[in-house]
Amino acid sequence: MSSSAMEADTSDLVCQLDNVQGIVDALSTVRWKRHQDAVVELSEHGIVLIVEETGCLQAKVYLQKELFIRYEYTAQGRPRFGLSLGLFVDCLNTFSVPGHSSTIEIRYPGPDMQLLIKSADSLDDCIYAEIRTRIPETISWDYNFEPAGSTPLSFTVKSAALKEAIDDLEWPGSSIQIILKPVPPSVTFRGEGHGDLQIDFMYYANTDLLIAFHCEHQVSYRYKYKFLRATTSNIPSSVTKDNRGSKLTIGRGGMLKVQHLVSVARPSTSHQHIDSAGYQQPSRIAYIEFFVKPEEDEDTVND
Amino acid sequence: MKFKAFVTENGVSLLDRRFLPALDKMGKICHLFLTREHAFFLHNLLTSPDGIQSIAQFRKQALFDDYRISSQNEDRIAFAFDISLLLRAVRSSVSIISSESGGANRLQVKLVKKLPPNSTQPMPFLTFETKGYKSAVIQDVPISKPLSRAQLLQLQAALDAAQDLPRTLVQVPDLNRLQNFVDRMKHVGDLLNVSISKYGDLHLQISTTLITLGAEFRKLLVVGDKAQAPDEDRDLSAQTRSERAILMGDAQSVQVSVRHFSKSLQCHLAKPDCAFYGIAPQGACLTVIFQFFIPGTRQTDKSISLHCRLPVLDPGSS
Repeated sequence: MSSSAMEADTSDLVCQLDNVQGIVDALSTVRWKRHQDAVVELSEHGIVLIVEETGCLQAKVYLQKELFIRYEYTAQGRPRFGLSLGLFVDCLNTFSVPGHSSTIEIRYPGPDMQLLIKSADSLDDCIYAEIRTRIPETISWDYNFEPAGSTPLSFTVKSAALKEAIDDLEWPGSSIQIILKPVPPSVTFRGEGHGDLQIDFMYYANTDLLIAFHCEHQVSYRYKYKFLRATTSNIPSSVTKDNRGSKLTIGRGGMLKVQHLVSVARPSTSHQHIDSAGYQQPSRIAYIEFFVKPEEDEDTVND
Repeated sequence: MKFKAFVTENGVSLLDRRFLPALDKMGKICHLFLTREHAFFLHNLLTSPDGIQSIAQFRKQALFDDYRISSQNEDRIAFAFDISLLLRAVRSSVSIISSESGGANRLQVKLVKKLPPNSTQPMPFLTFETKGYKSAVIQDVPISKPLSRAQLLQLQAALDAAQDLPRTLVQVPDLNRLQNFVDRMKHVGDLLNVSISKYGDLHLQISTTLITLGAEFRKLLVVGDKAQAPDEDRDLSAQTRSERAILMGDAQSVQVSVRHFSKSLQCHLAKPDCAFYGIAPQGACLTVIFQFFIPGTRQTDKSISLHCRLPVLDPGSS
């Protein structure tokens, strides 16, 4: 059970990072319910964590190797393992000390295929964890996102505004229609259920909210409210504080892709200027992607 | 049975800002045990053997002056009360004292029997009386019937039994940080293994079928039995190190509830100057002792003491 007796060359991956809270934030973004199984895939480019709700919703967190202060990958192929997302996040959270920047080391696999984590700050104090991993369940690959046509159908909206709009749509609930219109360029979220609620983002009127807009012909798809909500329900406060934007793209068949950017910058550098689009130097950003399948609805009109 | 005293200014601030908020976290119901020389606030000494025991002891001068007590049980009185009610009474007395100008306000506390509204049975109360030039405010905190002689002897015996010291105590470096860590650890599991070595190592670990999460603090100040850590220990993992120390008889390990451990750390609300953890002989309980210095010095204030005893869980029950 000794973890320090491990030699570096027996591990597929040894990495260190200096902002645990940033990683906790990024992983929490895709934590939409209490018990979620996640699949983790390691590669020379970084770590990808995937969670899904059978057949309807999939989310990915990309932790690129640039986020780590050390990233030593020696595996052949791409090792994958399954673990409980909640446990992983709760465990990482114990390594995060408010007001301190703590450095941790993550290593895989341990002698019993565990994921090993330990603090690397001080010689006299040490926090360590071993998380049991599982043989991953197969991921459904039908979330392959393909563009809807030759021109993109996408818009970028302030993450805070997106979250607020989706929170407001809770009241009509059940099913939400998203309509993109080129004339006038606008995005509409429309909920019908216990009453109607329609939220319009007009591109020219709200350039500070709707930052970018690409649409050449009107489209409209319906999505289950609870899945839309999952895409924004756990956006970390750092995202709204940094005034970031989220990009939504509609692909072939109405598959909705929602992308968020979560800062994994060291706490001391988080005050630097961020431009209006919310883009920071890309090396310190974790990318989050959600894929939501549309409801199969005969009434939806697409022209 | 009589008890009457004035709470000193220092006593009010000790109770109001430090001890009552800390003790409130230990549990709702507390025993106040008054003797000729001391006042004790006791949690779970009589009632529940499964709960965390806390023992706060004050020399009478630390809280009171003009302290008068008499009873047929060698001038000892004990009763149970709801700690949040006492805290409220003390808080509002403080606000009355500070709002009235002039130094003539004093807070008197006494044991009374009164007829509560809509009742024919007189009930015992601990009454707080604030007298100013212009007004007097009386607050009655309901208390239990004072303990019988037999119960009192039982409480005294439990109190005596709770005074045994662990052979080895290690000083916790940073209570706030430890509390922060344990509060986050709570999400991962319920049972905490605590091992303490004569080398000054404190090792906390939660282990479930899915995860092992631990923290090791080394080279802590040791009070009591100490030993030199073996040199070959240095390159080992925390788990191996504490397993070896236990085998060599240099460390002890017990399993306690994470919730109890976290509660014991809440005692930092009483603003102790340092805290020590130790395991009682035969692993009977995990003891945490809080030390208070005389303000402005590094000398222990012997008129105040606070310690908690965490029940050890059956290792087989995990």
